[in-house]
Amino acid sequence: MRQLLTPNSMWSTHELKDRYDVVIIGAGIHGLSTAYYLAKRGITNVAVLDKGYVGGGASGRNTAIIRANYLTREGIPFFRESLSLYEDLAQELDFNLLFDQSGRLDLGHSESAVYGLRMRTGVNKLLGVDSRMIGPSEIKELVPAIDLRVGKPLPVMGALYQSSAGVIRHDAVVWGYGRGADRQGVEIHPFTDVTGIVRENGSVVGVDVGDRRISADIVMSATAGWSSNIARMVDMKLPLITHPLQAFVTEPLKPFIDRSVSSANLHVYVYQTDRGEVVVGGGVDPYSSYSQRSTLHTLEELAANMLELFPFLRGVNVMRQWAGLCDMSPDYAPIMGEVDGLPGFLLSCGWGTWGFKAGPIGGYTMAELIDTGKTPDLIRPFNLRRFSRGELVNERAAAPAAAVH
Amino acid sequence: MSRPNKRLSAAPQELVDRSRPIHFEFEGRKIEAYEGDTVSSALSAAGVEIHSRSFKYHRPRGLLCVAGRCPNCLMTVDGTPNVRACTASVRDGMQVITQNAWPSTERDFVSVLDRLDRFLPVGFYYKALHKPKFLWELARPIVRRVAGLGSIDVDSDGGPTSNHTNRHTDVAVIGGGPAGMLAASAAADSGADVTLIDDQTLPGGHLLTDIREYFDVPDGLGLSTTTGHEIAAELRERVLGHQRISVLSSSSAFGMYQDNLLAIQTGRDSLNLRATHVVMATGAFEVPHQFHNNDLPGVMLASGALRLARLWGISPGKTAIVTTNDDSGYWAALNLSDAGIVVSAILDSRVVPDSDLLTLVRTAGIEVLAGQTINSAQGTKRVKSIATTSANGETRNIECDLICMSGAWQGASGLLLQSSSAGVDHDGIVRSGVPENVTIAGGVGGVHDLGALLSQAGLAGKRAAAKVGFGVPDDLPAIEAELSVFKSPTTSSAESSASPITQTKKTFVCFCEDVSTKDIAVAVEEGFGDVQTLKRYTTSTMGPCQGKMCHKAFVEVAALNLGLSVKDAGATTSRPPAQPVALGTLAGQNHMPRKRSPLHYVHEQLGAEIVELGPWLRPHNYGSPQDEVLAVRERVGIIDVSTLGKLDIRGPDAGKLLDRVYTHRFSNLREGHIRYGLLCSEAGSIMDDGTVTRMADDHYFVTTTTGNVDAIEDWFNWWMAGTGMDVYVTNVTAAWGAINVAGPRARETLAKLTDVDLSPKAFDYMRSATGEVAGVPSIFLRIGFVGETGWEVHFPAEYAEHLWNTVMEAGSEYGISPFGLEAQRILRLEKGHIIVNQDTDAVTDPLDAGMRWAVRFDKPDFIGRAGIAATRDRESKQSLVGFIADDGFVPEDGLSIVTNGQPVGRVTSSRFSPTRGVGFGLAWVPIEMAEDGTRIFIQSGRNEWPATVITEPIYDPEGSRLRA
Ligand SMILES: Cc1cc2nc3c(=O)[nH]c(=O)nc-3n(C[C@H](O)[C@H](O)[C@H](O)COP(=O)(O)OP(=O)(O)OC[C@H]3O[C@@H](n4cnc5c(N)ncnc54)[C@H](O)[C@@H]3O)c2cc1C
Ligand code: FES
Repeated sequence: MRQLLTPNSMWSTHELKDRYDVVIIGAGIHGLSTAYYLAKRGITNVAVLDKGYVGGGASGRNTAIIRANYLTREGIPFFRESLSLYEDLAQELDFNLLFDQSGRLDLGHSESAVYGLRMRTGVNKLLGVDSRMIGPSEIKELVPAIDLRVGKPLPVMGALYQSSAGVIRHDAVVWGYGRGADRQGVEIHPFTDVTGIVRENGSVVGVDVGDRRISADIVMSATAGWSSNIARMVDMKLPLITHPLQAFVTEPLKPFIDRSVSSANLHVYVYQTDRGEVVVGGGVDPYSSYSQRSTLHTLEELAANMLELFPFLRGVNVMRQWAGLCDMSPDYAPIMGEVDGLPGFLLSCGWGTWGFKAGPIGGYTMAELIDTGKTPDLIRPFNLRRFSRGELVNERAAAPAAAVH
Repeated sequence: MSRPNKRLSAAPQELVDRSRPIHFEFEGRKIEAYEGDTVSSALSAAGVEIHSRSFKYHRPRGLLCVAGRCPNCLMTVDGTPNVRACTASVRDGMQVITQNAWPSTERDFVSVLDRLDRFLPVGFYYKALHKPKFLWELARPIVRRVAGLGSIDVDSDGGPTSNHTNRHTDVAVIGGGPAGMLAASAAADSGADVTLIDDQTLPGGHLLTDIREYFDVPDGLGLSTTTGHEIAAELRERVLGHQRISVLSSSSAFGMYQDNLLAIQTGRDSLNLRATHVVMATGAFEVPHQFHNNDLPGVMLASGALRLARLWGISPGKTAIVTTNDDSGYWAALNLSDAGIVVSAILDSRVVPDSDLLTLVRTAGIEVLAGQTINSAQGTKRVKSIATTSANGETRNIECDLICMSGAWQGASGLLLQSSSAGVDHDGIVRSGVPENVTIAGGVGGVHDLGALLSQAGLAGKRAAAKVGFGVPDDLPAIEAELSVFKSPTTSSAESSASPITQTKKTFVCFCEDVSTKDIAVAVEEGFGDVQTLKRYTTSTMGPCQGKMCHKAFVEVAALNLGLSVKDAGATTSRPPAQPVALGTLAGQNHMPRKRSPLHYVHEQLGAEIVELGPWLRPHNYGSPQDEVLAVRERVGIIDVSTLGKLDIRGPDAGKLLDRVYTHRFSNLREGHIRYGLLCSEAGSIMDDGTVTRMADDHYFVTTTTGNVDAIEDWFNWWMAGTGMDVYVTNVTAAWGAINVAGPRARETLAKLTDVDLSPKAFDYMRSATGEVAGVPSIFLRIGFVGETGWEVHFPAEYAEHLWNTVMEAGSEYGISPFGLEAQRILRLEKGHIIVNQDTDAVTDPLDAGMRWAVRFDKPDFIGRAGIAATRDRESKQSLVGFIADDGFVPEDGLSIVTNGQPVGRVTSSRFSPTRGVGFGLAWVPIEMAEDGTRIFIQSGRNEWPATVITEPIYDPEGSRLRA
């Protein structure tokens, strides 16, 4: 209540110093949560630098679906731990993140899609995620408004239901972590563009911000869609391709759907925010680009596909369409940790269309790595070297059931 | 009950036809209207003042802009929520209800929130209800119910679908005001085809309601009148009558995408218009002033009040006060008073010297209070009076029931900003950086004076035409030089008019979201240090109007609190759509075609169970898949494989292309030979498979999996692009039908119908031939997906039924049976043949899948080589193996293989084998389990089922039957 009646303080402004223990590039969820957990471990001489405003990358543009029903032995525990951090995060940060754990349905409209969902359900259960397969009648109970498409192309045949999945207010998470980090002494520097990475004797020792040189023991890149650009600064090529991802919201309506629904066959996912807006998204644009501009084609296609599930929304207005960047990795799994042969430099990228839900655990484990110098088991499989060793973590699933976000 | 009728006497410009009454229902009450009325005009005439309740505090809101830009008139019309009632035409029998109020907008109990505002500071939902944890779970449903605007009937069918049209135009002129109309006619006079898009029912823009006489209209434009609305009428006639101009009225351009792709909605339908050049003549519109209670019903934009009076003949109030900070307020006052509204005073924040205008206004009986600013509006559900402060600090209350805000303008540049990074200040006025294929005309570029505006618009039209090659292109430099004179003032007006901004909790900046000046001040104090984060935290500019009513004020208030100039404060991003557009309009007719094979009706007649496979409808079985399997194994079976993708590849470089995209080598394939083709992604993962047959030196026939062919065709073209390869790739999937006849009696069956020598000596496995079957020219491919002697026969699709029936007849003496998908799946599984995407996944590479034989590392390069080579150099970690389950157990596809309760692999395909009488299948297992005889465990429900790994197919491992 006190928070309500007195203005709280988010973060303060600072002069950029010449030296920090840790410099984190990117004030998105991954950069800020790493800073937060570092500070909790007592490492507070940390600066988070962002070329734009706080949360202006994908973290401020994503649709914030939080779930753990992944496919692999490596991915599921990682996302499961993230979800469990999310469950208490509002209390920890003392900031209401509007986390609605109201469940999520992954629909299957074909035998092969159902096969993929069944595959995930089985592994989820074994690894402690509350997934189960449900049939059309239970789907209708959970989402009464849905059209099961009986007698139409792509009828709804079943769904993977994870009841503990949900959606969160993305900005609140970013600000909450930012505020939490700031209160423990971390400096956040928006509008501070990192233009170079400084190396000495094969180690990374700092960053350039225009003509300012900032030295640091550790430089971590948490730049998602821009990661390839940062990698180029250390003459490295990452196995990432940046694609735009688009989404839109409608004007606010009184609640008609509580859970989030995703259909890989129809390339669309839908949920309604607490403000009443219907959020609609789909797959990444087919071409790579750094442009965050939206296209008419995608808007039309998303609208058409979502109306296949909720035809009564035809007269409802679209309010805003936008795009963000996604750093897609070949196996749809993140790239985290040290880079062989480049001490002092850490990566947290490959977040693609799925990285927001990994924010808490991503930061937590990266902070542990920085503090202890040892890679936590949870993220060991995600190291960059997996590509040269051919140890891909296939989160992409069988094609038709490919799960996104 | 008799209700007030607020109609004024009929005016010449009005849009209503008073001889044609219409009735509709509002909250169960019958409302009388005229044809041409909007829902809002009719409701206003009937005395309805509260049109909506605000989003957060449920404050009463009345009409504000009367032009479809603000959130104040959102209502549910015939079940469609959030309709802008002020632009929705009335129809007989229409049902209109209000939204977001309980029990009604007149008496909304939820408006207690307005008095609890102390507990609802900016961002309040981030600051409360999360401790203890369960509180949010309790609160959330309530929060959800209170938020949201209109409600939706989930049982409705959403109404009719919409149509999409695609068109091209030389020049698109957006905005049908004087600038747009003149630019359109100038461009069309130069010879360009022009499309003029205007969102009002009648082109004319702000001149429609303007009775002012203009004496400075330039000669040479051919205008014979001098009064605002008459000029509008003249220009309108000109554009409507011009044969090269197509006028789209009541049409709003809501999107402007890359390369001038304009998205336009007209009613329900949408038009995607590609314009070579765009003239942006979207104008500027008035926005509210900031004072306490500036949202009370009775506080309107002057232009809104005027539109109500002039276009629909309705009195917006009895006594009006106009507030302004420039001359436009004086003209607004004169216009209003001419329309029959009593304007008691003009409140001008400037200290103005005497002028002709002042005299004119005074003569009309309007008092001018110079140097006076408005502090607040008073009243509960309607303005009763206004409190002002003069320059020397005196305060004063003046009674009035209408406050008309004038003088604050925002350029309608949202559309332009969607597709370019033009230099636009926070006030929306375009000042620089306009792309080459766009020309600015009129108010949106800061040119407001009618004379100047018309001259500029004429030049803009000529420039547009010249840019697309009409008129005298040589004149372009001259035109552009002349145009450059019409530069808008470089500093935005707001910087100069430093009128103090009231900071109270009810001085609204953002009406959609109930954000006040105070809220923004608090957010700045909390540490949000830039407009982007301030916008997201306060949600200003994020409501249904998307900042049209508030962007300018938002940035000004933010700048003030941040201690920055408005220029340094910047602007927020403008995103599509510029006007809300219905989902149905965007969706159009969603075509989800179902494809039928040329044999579809034969299958139906045979009583097949039909299933969907991607877009295709295919027979799953004809009664018993198990019997069908046995028929193929023991006698002969026939299956429709017309849905296979088929590509015809021709040209001298055909072999080269195939060598490049496939992992195998095809340039050395001999004529009449067939080879298995495996297609990989650049990363070396399996994408598709099929067969490649060499028909002639420069001609190959390729099959792909069902449903993948379009992607593969694109893939081929993609890898050919720019290489100069001389190849034609033609998708012949629909042109060719195909059947597969397989089984020990297949040869005898087909031999009866063809001259082609099918004997084992003459026609070997993996060979092809052409010849007739039952008189139909066909291609024979001897391949064996199902593991028996058999031929895939391809033929022109139109002969499909004839061919099928003839083969069935010929095979009847051998006991031929049609078989469906399910039998085919069992048959191939018994042979251990994989199905791409079922047994492989998005990262499976050929080596792990045991297909080393299909990859030729000895050819120069191919797509996926590097990826596959990387795998070659390391040990596989997992392997695709066969298994036989114990105790007749048949696992479902997709179940996990477990060791000590941990998932270590998975079943990809599994069936019961009628041939062997066991449950069996394929599974990915760790390499150490991939040995023959290894015991594995399959998790199904709570049970672990044992099975044994096999490394050879369970049927005919030597392939002797296949080659027989
Ligand atoms: C439309 C959309 C929907 C999505 N939906 C979901 C979803 O539902 N669930 C989910 O889990 N994920 C989703 N994602 C993905 C998710 O948003 C991202 O994976 C995640 O936000 C990445 O966070 P980040 O902190 O790594 O990167 P970002 O938030 O992108 O932050 C990177 C930051 O780095 C900064 N930067 C870049 N270069 C420099 C430089 N040279 N100097 C300084 N700073 C620099 C950028 O300005 C940016 O702020 C979605 C993404 C999009 C675009
Ligand atoms: S007034 Fe509509 S978004 Fe602010």
